[in-house]
Amino acid sequence: MTALRRIDLVVNGRARSIEVAVHHTLLDVLRDDLGLTGTKECCLVGECGACTVLVDDVSVDSCLMLAVEADRAAVTTVEGLAADDRLHPLQQAFLEAGAAQCGFCIPGQLISAQALLALNPHPTRAEVEEGLAGNLCRCAGYGQIIEAVLAAAEASTPAGEAG
Amino acid sequence: MRAFAYERPTDLGAAVALLAEHGGDACLLAGGTDLIIRLRDGSMQPRVVVDLKWIAELDGEIREVDEHLAIGARTVMTDIAANERIRREYQALAEAASVVGSVQIRNRATLAGNICNASPAADTAPALLAYGARVIAVGPAGKRAIPIDEFFVRSGLTTLDRGELVTAIELPRPAGRHGSVHVRRTRRRGHDLASVTLACAVGEDGMTRLAYGSLGPRPILVRDETGLLADPAAPDLAKMQRLEALFVGASPSPRSMRASPDYRLAMLHVLGLRAVGTAIERLASGIVRR
Amino acid sequence: MTRDQGVGASPARVGGLDRVTGRQAYVADVHLGDALHAKLVGLDCARARIIAVDTSAALEVPGVRVVITAADLPQPVPRFGPQFQDRPVLAVGETHYHGEPIAAIAAETRDAAEEAARLVRVDYEELPAVFTIAGALDPAAPLVQDPTLRPGNPLAHTNILREHHYGWGDVDAASAEAEVVVEGTYQFPMVTQFAIEPHAFIAAPDGDGIAIWSSIQHPSWLQRVIAGLLHLPLAKVRVFAPDPGGGFGGKQHAKYEPLVAFLALRAGRPVRLVLTLEETFQAVRRGASEIRVRSGFRSDGSLVFRDVEADYLIGAYADIADRTVAKGSYTSNGPYRVPAARVVARSILSHTTPSTAFRGFGNPQQIWAVESNMDEAAHVLGIDPVALRLRNLARRGEAFIPGDTPADGDWAQTVERAAELIGWGSPPAPGRGRGLAVGLKSGPTTGLSYSTVRLLADGSVIVHAGTSDMGQGARTIFAQIAAQELGAPLDWVTVVMGDTAVVPYDQQTSASRSSVLMGNAILNACRDVQARIRGMAARLESVDEAAVTVDRGEVRIGDRAMPIRDVLIRGLGRLGGEVIGIGEMRKEADPEHPLGGTAAFFEFNCTAVEVEVDRATGDIVVARHVTVSDVGKALNPVQVRGQDEGAAIMGLGHTLMEHYIYDDEGRIRNLGAIDYRIPTSMDLPLVMESDVVENEDGPGPYGSKGMSEGALLCVAPAVAAAVRDATGAVIRDLPLTPERVWRALNRPSAAGDPDAGAPTPTA
Repeated sequence: MTALRRIDLVVNGRARSIEVAVHHTLLDVLRDDLGLTGTKECCLVGECGACTVLVDDVSVDSCLMLAVEADRAAVTTVEGLAADDRLHPLQQAFLEAGAAQCGFCIPGQLISAQALLALNPHPTRAEVEEGLAGNLCRCAGYGQIIEAVLAAAEASTPAGEAG
Repeated sequence: MRAFAYERPTDLGAAVALLAEHGGDACLLAGGTDLIIRLRDGSMQPRVVVDLKWIAELDGEIREVDEHLAIGARTVMTDIAANERIRREYQALAEAASVVGSVQIRNRATLAGNICNASPAADTAPALLAYGARVIAVGPAGKRAIPIDEFFVRSGLTTLDRGELVTAIELPRPAGRHGSVHVRRTRRRGHDLASVTLACAVGEDGMTRLAYGSLGPRPILVRDETGLLADPAAPDLAKMQRLEALFVGASPSPRSMRASPDYRLAMLHVLGLRAVGTAIERLASGIVRR
Repeated sequence: MTRDQGVGASPARVGGLDRVTGRQAYVADVHLGDALHAKLVGLDCARARIIAVDTSAALEVPGVRVVITAADLPQPVPRFGPQFQDRPVLAVGETHYHGEPIAAIAAETRDAAEEAARLVRVDYEELPAVFTIAGALDPAAPLVQDPTLRPGNPLAHTNILREHHYGWGDVDAASAEAEVVVEGTYQFPMVTQFAIEPHAFIAAPDGDGIAIWSSIQHPSWLQRVIAGLLHLPLAKVRVFAPDPGGGFGGKQHAKYEPLVAFLALRAGRPVRLVLTLEETFQAVRRGASEIRVRSGFRSDGSLVFRDVEADYLIGAYADIADRTVAKGSYTSNGPYRVPAARVVARSILSHTTPSTAFRGFGNPQQIWAVESNMDEAAHVLGIDPVALRLRNLARRGEAFIPGDTPADGDWAQTVERAAELIGWGSPPAPGRGRGLAVGLKSGPTTGLSYSTVRLLADGSVIVHAGTSDMGQGARTIFAQIAAQELGAPLDWVTVVMGDTAVVPYDQQTSASRSSVLMGNAILNACRDVQARIRGMAARLESVDEAAVTVDRGEVRIGDRAMPIRDVLIRGLGRLGGEVIGIGEMRKEADPEHPLGGTAAFFEFNCTAVEVEVDRATGDIVVARHVTVSDVGKALNPVQVRGQDEGAAIMGLGHTLMEHYIYDDEGRIRNLGAIDYRIPTSMDLPLVMESDVVENEDGPGPYGSKGMSEGALLCVAPAVAAAVRDATGAVIRDLPLTPERVWRALNRPSAAGDPDAGAPTPTA
C-alpha cells in the first residue's frame, strides 16, 4: 500500500498543492506528476547532476531528495529560468558560446551555473570548474560550457543581474 | 524504490520514541545523500523513514557551547566548509567537508549523517578524530556525550543505542596552536570516493595526531608523542620510519575495486608524510586563536 | 542572408533554444497517454542455464498487464543483429551476459513494474563464463555461441567469431631488411559509451502497423529490423527518432526495441522502457583488445614492415562488433608508407556485454598499439618522434593502402601544426614530458542518403534529412547548406528529421558520414530545386534555360541578378505551390574490396600533450592538450571545436580512468556512475587547444570531410608517450590510472595485472 502525503510547494514561482507517494523522489514528481520534463534522469545516485534543481535557491540533486522533503520549499527548474519571453542571461550565454551539443546535461548545468553565480558573481575559471564538477557532460570538453558561464558573469552588472 | 512509511516528528521526544519503537526497521533521513541511494538499491529496506529536518530542537547552526564548537545535526557540508571559525581553527574539517562530493551533494549532506553512516571512508571522520570531537546523542535514557574514537565500530555500525539520534557534534577548543590538514587519494581530480583519507594535526606542544580512513573497517587515530614527526628539522627517512610504526594497524580490504591493498598502504605513507609537512608549515605560519 | 549564417560561419545551433529551455523532447520525455511502463528482469551472473521462470507472483501485482519470457514469443524465438541474426529478443534457455534480460514486465506504473520485476522467480544454474581473451581461447572453454547458429563455419566450435587477414607485400622477406625491430603487446580495456541520456524506447500499436520511438542513430535501419521481426511491410512501421542525448555509437543498432514492440502488441497499448544507467553499461560497450605489433625500420627511421596480430574481445552477441574489428584492423598500419604489412585480426566472443560501435569504431584500439609502438621505436632509433612520423607519413595522392583510396590530405601539415602549437622542439617546463601521436580512420565505405528539399511559396525552406542529430550539430549544418544554396535566411529553414513516415531513406548516422553523404544529398536536392527555378526563370523572362544560372541564392540572366524568392513568387502564380527537389548521394559497394568499399575520405588527427607525473602517487596531470584535425572545411567552426574537444576529453577518459571491473565470475562490479569514472570539469587539461586544417579537399559540400572521431583516436598513445618522456616508464595497458602508473614506476617487476582488485577482462 503506497503511502501518500500532500505537499505544498512553489515550483517556478507557481504555488502547487499535490499529493505524492512518500517514496517518490523530487525528480519523479517534477517529471511525472508535474510534467516538467526539462529536468533529466540519468545516474540516480547523485553523481551526474542531470537532475539538478534549486530548492530554496540551493542546488541539489533532485534524485536524492524525496518529494516530501520539498514540502514548503520553493523549487526552480530549467523551465523557470526564463522570465516570460526573455531568456535568462545564462541561457543566452550558453546559446552564444555553443555550449549545448546533445543538450541532455544542459538543464542541470544551467541550474548549477545559476547557483554558482548567485553565490559568486565573478568566479575564476577554476571556481567555475569546481562549481560545475557535479554535472557530467559526455559531448563537450566542458570548455564551451565554462566559457558561457564566464561570459555570463562578465556581462552581469555590479547590481547583480545574474542572481 | 520500495515503498515505506514516512514520519516527520516535530520534537525530539517524538523522534526518540519512533526510533525506539521501530529499532532496525526505521532509518533516519537527514540529507539523504547516502540513504536514498541505499533505498534505491535495496541495501536498506526500512519500514519507516524518519525525517529529522522538522525536529524543533535540531538545527544546522554552528555555535559555541561550553568551551566547545557545536555543529548541529542538520548542518550541511557547504556550511561547514564555509564557516570562518572552522576554516581557521579546524582546517582539516573544513577541507574534508569541501571534498565530500559535488556542490549539490555538499548542499544536502550533513556531518551527522556522514558519521552515522559510518563508512570507513567517511572523509570527515579523520578530522573529527584528530580534533578529539565528541558526539552528543539523545535517546530513551537521556542525553550523553560519546568521544568520537568510541563512536565508530565498523562499516555501517556505531555505538549509538536503539532509539538514539545524534543532536550535535562538538569540537573541543584547541589546547594550543596547531596546524592541520586533510588529504586523500582518489582516481581522478574530480569528485570521487577516497581510497585513502587522512587528517593530520601538529600541535605546538610537539604532539602529532594522524587519523586515517579507508584502510580497515573503521577510521583509526594514532598519535606521535615523541615529537619526531612535529620536528621540522627531522629527516624524512626518520619520519617515514615513525609513520610505518604508527600505521602498522592499517588493514586495507583486498576486495576493494577502488585500489589494491599495497597501493593503498603505500599511499597512506606518502600522504602521511606530506600531511605532516603541510601541518608543520601551517603551524609555523600561525593560526590566530581567538 | 547575412554572412554570419552561411557555411563556414557559426550561427547558433538549430535546436539550441530548445536545449537551453528544457523544451527539447528526448524519448523519455515523450508522453503517450495510455502508455504502460516496462521493466527488464535479468540475472546477477554472467552466464546461467534457465531452469524455470515463475511469473505468478509478478502477475498478481496490481497494475501489471503483461509479463513475458521467451516462451511467450513466436517460436523459435526471433533473433536479430546487424551482422549476424544471433541475438534473441529475450534470452532462450541460457543467459550469456551479466544483465541479459530473461523476462519483461509492462504495468500501469513504474512502481508496479519494478515491484513485479522483483517478484519474478527464476530457478537457474550459474555456469562457468569466459570473459577474458585467454579464457575464451582456451580449448576447454565453453562456447559462447551455439554452433548451430553458424552451420558449416569452421570456427563454429570455437569462440572466434571471425578472423580477418589484411596486408600487402611480403613481411617475412622484408623482416630481413629491417635494421631495427620494435615489438610490443598492448591492451585496451572494456569501456562504455556513457551517454548522459540512457537508452529509451517506446512502441505503440499504430493501426495495422506499429510506431516506435527510440534514441536510435539509424532510424531506417531500425525500421527494417522491426518490419522483419514482426513480418510487417516497411510502410507499416513508423520510427520516430528524437534527437538522442548523446550516442557515440551505442545507439546505432537495435537493442530492446524488438522486445518493447512485442510487449506493445501483446498489451494492445503503448509500452515505454527507459534503461537505468546501470542497464546501459550492461547493454553497450567498446571491444577490448590485446594487440601485438612488430614494426621494422631502417636506421634512418623509414618503415620496412609492420606485422600486427589483434584479438578483440567482443560480447555475447555480435551486434556490429565484428565490423569494428575489420574496419579498425584494415587501417592498423596507420597513415604511413610501408612496403610490407600484415594484419591478422580476430573477433572473440565472450560472456559479456555485447560490444558495439563506439566513436572510433575499432581504430582507437589499433592506434593505441601502433602509435605506442612508433613512440618506442623513435626512442630505440634515437629519432625525434615527430620526425619519425613525418618521414613515414603518406603524402597526398599516395596509395598507402594498395587498392584503397589514396591519402586524401596534407597530413604532414596537420602534424606540423600540432607540433607548432605544443612547442615541440623547445624543451618543456622542468618535470614535464611531451608526447605526440597520429590517428587515421576510414570514413564510410559505402552509403546511401536521400534528402528532399521543399522551397515553399514565400521562399522559406523545409529540408528532410534522416540523419540523427545527437549533439554533433547535423541539423545546423544542413540548415546552413540549404540557406546558402537557396538564399533563405537561416531562421527561414526548418529541418525535419527522425520520422521514417516523412523523411526519406538514410542508411545510418555513423562513421562521421553525414556531412559528406547527407550533406551532398541535401546539396543535390538544392541543385534540383535550382534547376527547376532556372526553368521557371527562363519561362518568365522568355529566354533559353541555358542563359539562366542559379548560384546560391541568386538567379542570373546576363548581367541581371535577382533573389530566388522573386522568381519563385512570380513563377508559382495564382495556384501557389512549392518547388520540390530530390537529392541522392550514393557510394556503391565494391564486392571485391575487403571492407566492401573504399574509404569515402579519411579522418586524420594529430594529438600532442604535455604532462606532469607525480612519481610518488602515479597521478598524471595533462598540462597541455593540443588536437588538430584535417577537416577539409569546417562547416560550422564552433560546432567543430565542440566535437573535437569533446572527443579529446572522451579519449582522456579511456586513457586515464575508464574501465569495467569484473569479479572472478564475470559480473561487472562497477555498474553505474559511482565507480565508473569519466572526466568531470575538474579533470580537464590545464590548457586545451584545438585547431583544424582546412584545405577544402574533402568530398563533402564545400570541400568538407567528416569529423568528430578524429580527436579521440590517438589521445592514449600521445599521453603514454608523454609519460615515457617524463618518467622513462613504458606502459602498454590502459587506463593509465594513478595506481597503474605508480606500479610501473615503483614496482616494475610485479607480474600480472597491476590494477586494482579484480582481474581486467583482457588479462
